[in-house]
Amino acid sequence: MSRAVPAAAVLAVLAGAPFVLDDYYVHLLIMSGIFFLPAAGMNLLLAGGQLTLGHTAFFGIGAYTSGLLALQWGLSPLFGMVAAAALAALVGYLLGTLTLRLRGSYFVLVTIGFAEVIRLIATNWIELTQGPLGLPGVPPFDLGRAAFALTSKRQYYYVMLAFCAVTYGLCARLLRSRFGRALAAVRQNESLAESVGVSAYRTTLVAMVVACALAGVGGSFYGHYTQFLSPELFAFYNTVTMVVMVVAGGQASVAGPAVGAVVFTFLPELLRMAAFYRMLIYGVILLLAIMFMPRGIVDALQRLRRHTPPPLPAPAAGGEALVVDDRRAAGDAAPLALEHVTVKFGGLTALSDVTFSLARREILALIGPNGAGKTTAFHVITGFLPQTAGRVLGDAGIDLTTLPPHEVCRHGLVRMFQKASVFPQRSAIENVTMAGHRLGRAGFWALVFNTPATQREEAALAARAAWLLDFTGLAPRAHEIASNLSLGEQRLLGLAIALAPGPAVLLLDEPAAGLNPAETQRVMTLIQQIRAQGVSVVLVEHDMKMVMGVSDRIVVLNHGQKIAEGRPAQIQRDPEVIRAYLGAGEADARA
Amino acid sequence: MIAELVQHVVNGLVIGGGYALMGIGLTLIFGIMRVVNFAHGEFYMLGAFLLFSLFGSLGINFFLASVVAIVAVGLSGAIVERVVLKRLREQPVEIPMLAMVALSVILQNATILVCDPSPKTIRHPFSPIPIVLGPIHVVAIRIFAGAAAVALIIGSHLFIQKTRLGKAMRATFQDGEMARLVGVDVDRVYTGTFALGAALAGAAGVLLGSVFWVYPAMGDQAAMKSFAVVIMGGLGDFLGAIVGGLLLGVAESLGAAYISSGYKDAIGFVVIILLLLFRPAGLFGRRERLR
Repeated sequence: MSRAVPAAAVLAVLAGAPFVLDDYYVHLLIMSGIFFLPAAGMNLLLAGGQLTLGHTAFFGIGAYTSGLLALQWGLSPLFGMVAAAALAALVGYLLGTLTLRLRGSYFVLVTIGFAEVIRLIATNWIELTQGPLGLPGVPPFDLGRAAFALTSKRQYYYVMLAFCAVTYGLCARLLRSRFGRALAAVRQNESLAESVGVSAYRTTLVAMVVACALAGVGGSFYGHYTQFLSPELFAFYNTVTMVVMVVAGGQASVAGPAVGAVVFTFLPELLRMAAFYRMLIYGVILLLAIMFMPRGIVDALQRLRRHTPPPLPAPAAGGEALVVDDRRAAGDAAPLALEHVTVKFGGLTALSDVTFSLARREILALIGPNGAGKTTAFHVITGFLPQTAGRVLGDAGIDLTTLPPHEVCRHGLVRMFQKASVFPQRSAIENVTMAGHRLGRAGFWALVFNTPATQREEAALAARAAWLLDFTGLAPRAHEIASNLSLGEQRLLGLAIALAPGPAVLLLDEPAAGLNPAETQRVMTLIQQIRAQGVSVVLVEHDMKMVMGVSDRIVVLNHGQKIAEGRPAQIQRDPEVIRAYLGAGEADARA
Repeated sequence: MIAELVQHVVNGLVIGGGYALMGIGLTLIFGIMRVVNFAHGEFYMLGAFLLFSLFGSLGINFFLASVVAIVAVGLSGAIVERVVLKRLREQPVEIPMLAMVALSVILQNATILVCDPSPKTIRHPFSPIPIVLGPIHVVAIRIFAGAAAVALIIGSHLFIQKTRLGKAMRATFQDGEMARLVGVDVDRVYTGTFALGAALAGAAGVLLGSVFWVYPAMGDQAAMKSFAVVIMGGLGDFLGAIVGGLLLGVAESLGAAYISSGYKDAIGFVVIILLLLFRPAGLFGRRERLR
């Protein structure tokens, strides 16, 4: 592996450092290491788009847990650390279940509040913590027994280095795995992630638990290293330090927080010579760094180096099946049915008592003038909007009515979005690999340890993604960043993304909008090929040539009501449909 | 008993008026610009220090000095938006947020260097003898601070509803892209919003700084409080921020009197956690996610 060489070199330099540096700098390196643990966890959460500003609470919980266990019951710090990680993870889990359903800015603000509450408890619960006086005399860290207590800075340094190496490996593995791709998917396009079977809530919750456990370990080690606990641990300033390390160091890769932890531990110390101006200069450097390197130090360094993309994995030799679960493509039962579905927004009725069903291997077009309720119908079917009344049934009569989008995907229904149908900051091949999330089976620990089964699964997912790019004709653009693709290419990529989870029913929302005739023809051909492989298709489209050309049957909506249903030839002659379409035209002509 | 209760509620409302001003500023900046303004507490501190310098040191008339202080804080907000935030508009939310963290470090430490960091009081021209209203006693400066907060809240409401810039702000709040398409000068809206938000924080600093102490780190607690207010009221919710601010002020005042003064500052956040359990989208339940 090309990565192993620089990693070994860095590790060798770090291992040799205490022989060259004096104790003061070794101390700073230990502090960098201690802050790297929570920063790496914070980075993991941020990879999923969630910024925590209460991370110091978990750091402090860790410190107090193992510190108090050692002081009151004489428990070994090593076991105390396990307890610290477990408690921090548990509290993180509870806070996450409360807040991660409302992600984004809510999460940011609530985590600040949480840390503030914990700080006030630590300050006021005098019997337990001695309040602002703090708890001196925390025993030094040991390796399971007091006889193995750490006595010198150098010993602390090597234990810390081991913790950091493990953390680095853990986070790097996670970020490169299917779990890391799910986090990136949630961050870049949450709706799209949900539609291909990623649960934004569950994914960010797992990241939260890992992040809090890491903060707990870091805090525990800090307590035994400094041998003193005080409510200052919970100061907002500590959280800010961690965020600075992550963001100014560089997000997304684990190298960012690692570099950030070292730089922003040393910087305030080096600024000591500036005496009174120290914090002012620190603030100015931070502000300038953010303004001119918003993507962080590591990213700025990487730009200096030319980057060659890895070769594309070979598409699976015998081709792939579009529908992954064969059971779903078999049988004659309707794979999708709407029963008396009504949707109201306040006083406005967007869909009114709509009933229709989709036959196996059918291409059904859903048409109607603007505002007829077509996209609303898609939202309801795929779980993005709750209906006011009625039911949506999936394959074998499974009730999809109350399911969230990622579970609808698990039942074989996937939609393609009209707008924002890609993960914009990733390459085409990465987009499709991310979207194949649902097909992975490996659990959390299998991902961490990268078991042979996980490696085989990853290879299969990569091969399928390459095959889908081939199928949609995007293989030559595989390494292009999605937002740089043309509109037509983005549509094809959106189609490949929707096909990645292996749907039995594909819902296409205006796949040809804004495309030129050649591109439209390409999409039409693809739809027919997709159906030929056993996928049933629902198509919302304004391009009548395309609708009449590909669909077996058409359902017409107008003002939220179904006004006609039949074969294309019937629909073209239907007087009510003509009135719905031309009525508006006549009104315009008179105006 | 009742008289004591009323007394605490009145005290709470005066502080709550200040919290509401802070909260409105923060919620406007967040709602329109999607910037979590971590320098909000420092604009509050700046307002108080400017009043202290202009009135206390230079001897300018108290009311004139208050107005000048508020306007100056607003102007510095406009400069910050133009110089710093404008460059970071395309970045994800944590980037401008962190820039504001850096700004707050700069402002707080610059103040420590320029001014004497020990806590001071502003010797306002109001009589220190409490006015007796039936069973309750209120000093005049508190009545002034409460009335001024109400006036400023109504003033900013009218500004947003009636003026051209206010309407453009509301349009940008609803849909920034659409506002741009119909010809709203979004740059101007952003600068105006940040200036207004900063000025409101500065005004809260002027008013509460006259009642309590003035010191460089005074913004830290105030910023925490305004975050609590904004979460309670719902992100980007103007009315929510007013109600949230007043509620927090009263809850703290009652909590300090009847529960524990040590935990007083935690009350806002405990309320938030309860709200999240029972009303996850803020007091008024207007959801801001998923258009």
